[in-house]
Amino acid sequence: MELSINGQTRTLADAAVDPAMPLLWALRDVLNLTGTKFGCGVAACGACTVHVDGQALRSCVTPLAAVASRRIVTIEALGTAAQPHPLQTAWLEHQVPQCGYCQSGMLMAAAALLAKNPDPSDADIDAAITNICRCGTYPRIRAAIKSAAATLRPALPKAKAKA
Amino acid sequence: MKRRTMILSGLGAVAALVVGWGVLPPRGRLGGPGTQPLVAGEVGLNGWIKIGADGGVILAMNRSEMGQGVHTALAMLVAEELDISLAKVRLEQAGADKIYGNVAMFVGSLPFHPSDAEPGRETRTVRTGQWIVAKLARELGISATGGSSTIADAWDVLRLAAATARAQLLGAASLEWKLPLAELSVKNGVISHASGPQGHYGLFAKAAAATPPGDVSLKAAKDWTLVGTPAPRIDLQAKIDGTAPFGLDVRLPNQLYAVARHCPMLGGGAGAVNAEAAMKLPGVERVVRLGSFAGSTGAVVVVGRSTWHAQQGAQALQIEWRAPPAGVLASATIVDALDRSAREAAAAQGGLAFHSVGDVAAASKGAARRVEQLYRAPYLAHATMEPINCTARVADGRVEVWVPTQMPGSARAVAARAAGVSEDAVTVHVTYLGGGFGRRLDVDVVGQAVRVAVETGGRPVQLVWPREEDIGHDFYRPAGVALLQASLDAQGMPIGLAITSAGDAVTPRWMERALPALAGPIDMPDKTAAEGLIDLPYGIANQRMAHVATHSGVPVGFWRSVGHSHNAFFAEAFIDELAFEAKQDPVAFRLALLKDAPRHVAVLQLAADKAGWGGPLPAGVARGVALHESFNSIVAQVVELSLQGGRPRVLRVVCAADVGTVVNPGIVAQQMEGAVIFGLSAALYGRIDIEGSVVRQSNFPDYPVVKMAESPAIIETHLVPSTRAPGGVGEPGTPPIAPAVANAMFVLTGQRVRSLPLLA
Repeated sequence: MELSINGQTRTLADAAVDPAMPLLWALRDVLNLTGTKFGCGVAACGACTVHVDGQALRSCVTPLAAVASRRIVTIEALGTAAQPHPLQTAWLEHQVPQCGYCQSGMLMAAAALLAKNPDPSDADIDAAITNICRCGTYPRIRAAIKSAAATLRPALPKAKAKA
Repeated sequence: MKRRTMILSGLGAVAALVVGWGVLPPRGRLGGPGTQPLVAGEVGLNGWIKIGADGGVILAMNRSEMGQGVHTALAMLVAEELDISLAKVRLEQAGADKIYGNVAMFVGSLPFHPSDAEPGRETRTVRTGQWIVAKLARELGISATGGSSTIADAWDVLRLAAATARAQLLGAASLEWKLPLAELSVKNGVISHASGPQGHYGLFAKAAAATPPGDVSLKAAKDWTLVGTPAPRIDLQAKIDGTAPFGLDVRLPNQLYAVARHCPMLGGGAGAVNAEAAMKLPGVERVVRLGSFAGSTGAVVVVGRSTWHAQQGAQALQIEWRAPPAGVLASATIVDALDRSAREAAAAQGGLAFHSVGDVAAASKGAARRVEQLYRAPYLAHATMEPINCTARVADGRVEVWVPTQMPGSARAVAARAAGVSEDAVTVHVTYLGGGFGRRLDVDVVGQAVRVAVETGGRPVQLVWPREEDIGHDFYRPAGVALLQASLDAQGMPIGLAITSAGDAVTPRWMERALPALAGPIDMPDKTAAEGLIDLPYGIANQRMAHVATHSGVPVGFWRSVGHSHNAFFAEAFIDELAFEAKQDPVAFRLALLKDAPRHVAVLQLAADKAGWGGPLPAGVARGVALHESFNSIVAQVVELSLQGGRPRVLRVVCAADVGTVVNPGIVAQQMEGAVIFGLSAALYGRIDIEGSVVRQSNFPDYPVVKMAESPAIIETHLVPSTRAPGGVGEPGTPPIAPAVANAMFVLTGQRVRSLPLLA
């Protein structure tokens, strides 16, 4: 089976995977892309969030068969220390993570939100970020999303902003 | 003889027999240059500090990072005393030496009233008790991350270790350059003299190891440049790019994956297992039956090529489960029994009276009015984000485990027992913890994983519990009940307060599992279920705070803030009731009762001021307040709350705290925010129900927690400046939130909810 992951075509041995296997386990246990996390297995917590064709998707309940010909992006390709995604910069600025386990999923959910909504309201953030964080980093995540959004739309002309 | 004194004499006799009497200087915990293993180019100066060839500092890290920021905070203490940037301090897991054990956590478990334990003014009983326990803890050297004790435990030792290393390095430079010590200075790990010579620590390390430190003094607080600042955490880059290694991220050559399926009945086990269908599935390698390890329920484990293959196999198993030999557990029945125990003990002045002043019976007789209420709290699960897991390899008589644990020594011991080897043959690698909250003070999964790895022919195996296994087989925060009885004078002010609580003792159950060698045949008095009721700051003339310790059979464990987690709700919601009875403002009422508690006054006043207590609010919004001391820190919270469709929505939390000396105010604020949200999940939703020994909840859909939409948008933290030794930070923010929310709900609804969760 072939998958497009982080811009590369990855071939998975048929013996290693199964069309019914959730994407999460192919990423973690077959490809060793362990940045995407297992939290609940029932799409309730969002720790396993990745992008599929630009949409945030919970990989723990997404079978490989459903993503075979689609563009998959994981936390490993969101940005690096040298070239961070604006959200990652904001995450550091606001010192968001505590234990850090949910943060890959949080960042991927937030990145998908900003990609289609460069100026999310509090209600937009509430609706898009339904991931669970047991350390309680929500207020900082909200603030970091807002500051990343601000850096992502510096070119908005003032007149347009007023209109 | 008072019961407390008797207990202490017993402990003292044991301590004297075991370890002899003597003094306990922090210097005794510095260790030697060879305490930690050295790699080429490194020089050990003591058990905590090594110097690298590049002049960097390598710190032996004896505490687990589970989100609470201790890796950063401990590195800050060392960087400060060594005058080196935080970026040049590298962490290395500390070994098993006893110097790395936790003394402060065990001293903190003593059942003393804070007013008897005020530093410098301790009663003789307190001083003796603290000394004995410190001595025992030092001798035992149990490494543990818990009890909000990390900074308190490290405060003297780690700073001294770093300051001693600095003195040795400077001494070596002085000798080599033949320049007076007093004329040398250090900037970011580079020693220099005004006349020109300079060099980084690495150049002097070897000579420093042979140079006596002379008189070592710690930096004065006024000279700190790093401690006290909100320095960025050192672990965050790895936590935003997916590279931070948690337990479940361990990947070894030839690794197998395993999934556990426990007997649904707590304490039960597997009878007949039909594995035929499971073994026919592709990718399933083997099936292993597990007995009980360090308190675990019996289970069957399927080993496979991936976690998913193993999970498919686990679901295909046909298992006849065996009920536990002890009776059937039902939480409703247990809580009813706790109600009765509390009432009976209250009527008979029974239970263990941890705190007693004046005469509550006489106060009750002379009271103008009496108020009595029973409060209840349910069992709770921890639900750490990272599911319970451990990776183990058993090969050539050696055992290696990789585990997110708060108890590396216990992990080592249970691994050795499971593999039938000596502890010397076991290496424990502590990974990042995806949340701990006390759950990872238990090491059950380590024994399980090692037992499975014994079967896999030397191949490493990663055992994980699916979320349903975690919620269904936790060591739960015990259910608790308290009967609170106040005697009021004609003005409505309390002249007597009797609190009789009942609930399972946690410490003895945990010791049996995690430290079996220390577990005794009888339960020592355990304050963990009673803390938060027996140590209230209010100046009420007659008080009796007693607790009935029970043993229900439900597996119970430490849950962030332990007894305080529910007892603060009981105490502070009841105090709010008394304020209402006295027709007084809740803040003014508390202040009136806090005449002998100036630190509490300062904290409460700060929270009230910053929250604008008494000021106008939008229609439909109310404030609630709570004040609570735990882990040597005092926290007050004021919430602003509205009801949306009948459901409480916390809009803003103002948190004021006196946590003693602050190492990193940024991390303190993070912890207060996190503790509030953790406590809010429990206050609003948290409940574990047990019927027929089976836990009814299984995963986040039926064990809900607060998410972004229900999280307060604003949580402010304001710190009272303090020069006291550091108190706890990770837990003290959790207890006040439930009563603060409940008290605000009362303002809006006129109804008191006296049982958690508030949304039953």
